[in-house]
Amino acid sequence: MTSNIAIAMMNGIVWGLIMALIALGLNLIFGLLHVINMAHGALYMLGAVVAWYLIEFTGSFWIALIIAPLFVGLIGVAIERGLIRTIEDKPIITIICTFGIMLVIQELVLMIFGGAPRRIDSPITQRFPIFELQYPVMRIMIAFISVVLMSGLWIFLKKTKYGLWMRAVVQDREMAAGLGIPVTKVYMWTFAVGSALAAFSGVLAAPIVSVEFMMGREVLIMAFIIVIVGGMGNLAGSVVAAVLISLIQGVGSIFVSPSMAMVFSLAILIIVLLVRPQGLFGE
Amino acid sequence: MSSWKEKPFRFTLIFGLVILGLVILPFFTELYYQTFLTELFVWILFAISFDLIFGYTGLLSFGQALFFGIGGYTVTILTRKYGLGTEPGLLLCILIPMLFAWFVGYFSVKLTGIHFVIITIIFAIIANIIGDTWTSLTGGKDGLTFSPRPFRLGFFQVNLMDIKGNYYFVLAVVAVCYLILRRIVQSPLGKIFISIRENEERARLIGYNVQRYKLIAFIIAGGLSGLAGGLYSITLKYVGAGYLHWSVSGHAVVYTIVGGMGTLIGPVVGTGIILSLEHYLVNFLQATDLVVGIVLVVMVLLAPKGIVGLIQSRWKKGKSSA
Repeated sequence: MTSNIAIAMMNGIVWGLIMALIALGLNLIFGLLHVINMAHGALYMLGAVVAWYLIEFTGSFWIALIIAPLFVGLIGVAIERGLIRTIEDKPIITIICTFGIMLVIQELVLMIFGGAPRRIDSPITQRFPIFELQYPVMRIMIAFISVVLMSGLWIFLKKTKYGLWMRAVVQDREMAAGLGIPVTKVYMWTFAVGSALAAFSGVLAAPIVSVEFMMGREVLIMAFIIVIVGGMGNLAGSVVAAVLISLIQGVGSIFVSPSMAMVFSLAILIIVLLVRPQGLFGE
Repeated sequence: MSSWKEKPFRFTLIFGLVILGLVILPFFTELYYQTFLTELFVWILFAISFDLIFGYTGLLSFGQALFFGIGGYTVTILTRKYGLGTEPGLLLCILIPMLFAWFVGYFSVKLTGIHFVIITIIFAIIANIIGDTWTSLTGGKDGLTFSPRPFRLGFFQVNLMDIKGNYYFVLAVVAVCYLILRRIVQSPLGKIFISIRENEERARLIGYNVQRYKLIAFIIAGGLSGLAGGLYSITLKYVGAGYLHWSVSGHAVVYTIVGGMGTLIGPVVGTGIILSLEHYLVNFLQATDLVVGIVLVVMVLLAPKGIVGLIQSRWKKGKSSA
């Protein structure tokens, strides 16, 4: 029992860190553009699918881990420049538009990649013993990479010019524009970074789950939950919420069925929405 | 503003002609098309009920699938397990979804904007999971099949197992619902809904209890979505947890946006166009939703008022230049 709980906790943390990446992307886009990106789950899926193709051609998971997010980041730029830009100030309309984009991405993948789930083999197959059980080294590696990416994002936001601009736009869009910050360019970069984060999340999840065109649908909802519980626009809150929620779900699933654990966390989410719409960790 | 509403005579004429055409159509077409049209009518009802809550009241609800699914389960479970007749079953698939809409709406209308959108999605997901796992009641992943019993409605003997009987029954119900909704949106109540959509703050300052009117719109829309779900399950003789999935609400969003929101006739046009398109494309394309997605994105960007909006502005332009 204790070993089961320990494994569930480790899985919960690893999965939580993967979910933190996609939630950060969603939250970053929301914080800056006030756009709820319904296509975010599809971008996550696209990351995994592109990685699958890259691994087929190059044979290396690590090349895929770098190239797939770059590719999806470019798709994000195309979506922002080509489609979202003209309707950015209408939140409800952007939800509908990105819902359409989600359909398009999903169906294109269905046409090209097919409907059958496929596997990405883990590049590290070693396991190490823990509590009388074996735990894959790859999962620790995935957690480590997620933490590195999040630290990278933090440094990007705190130490670079674009990061400073982004934070300025979040604080006061008009004032930022008045001070000469190229707000539209910042939007474009934000969408690119947000999309790339979703893709990173997808590539890292791929060795754990199977790759298929619908894999982003449930994850999108998970990302919503995380962003709301952590607080919209609150990036650190998202990371904490992601790990916390998947820990609770992971450990909870030992005692009740996974679907009951899901219903339970959704009910909590409704209460959070009603009582603290700014999130648990917001002011 | 809109030229349709203020000309009741023209409306009656066109409405009558369309219904007449649909009544005589089965004598000239194959059964296959009647099945297609029956499903089309059901989706029209779903779309116009969504138009009341989104197009008129301004609330983007992704939770309509919840009421659609509850409606489907209501009529199926009551007639299959408890031997209830089809007509009280159908009546209950308005009333029971209304109760659920009251419950969901009570909490949801406290929120606005994107928070409202998300809470309605969450409620639908919870319902979907419960529908999926509560096997003894819902049949779980397999869903439930049933055969609605024939019943008398005034002078008519309605046999829903017969494709033609099913067609006429659904046509009649949807036509009546359309007229009821049209009456609602033209009534003072409908004007309040529109005022909330246009400027919630102003509606509140005038003295309207905005949350209460939002809840009323939500309950009416929920009841009609439930009826659509009930009609869908008696048409397919099947109900499953898939009915409850929040993405089913996406159908209504697409039809309403493409046709023109807040017009009632728009969702009818939109449903007709999208479903016919899918019906045609399915012959040589596996992923029909691809075209649906593209149409949705293009319409949102270039013609947010939909096809009906485009026609109306063209009409107005033509008049002013003449």
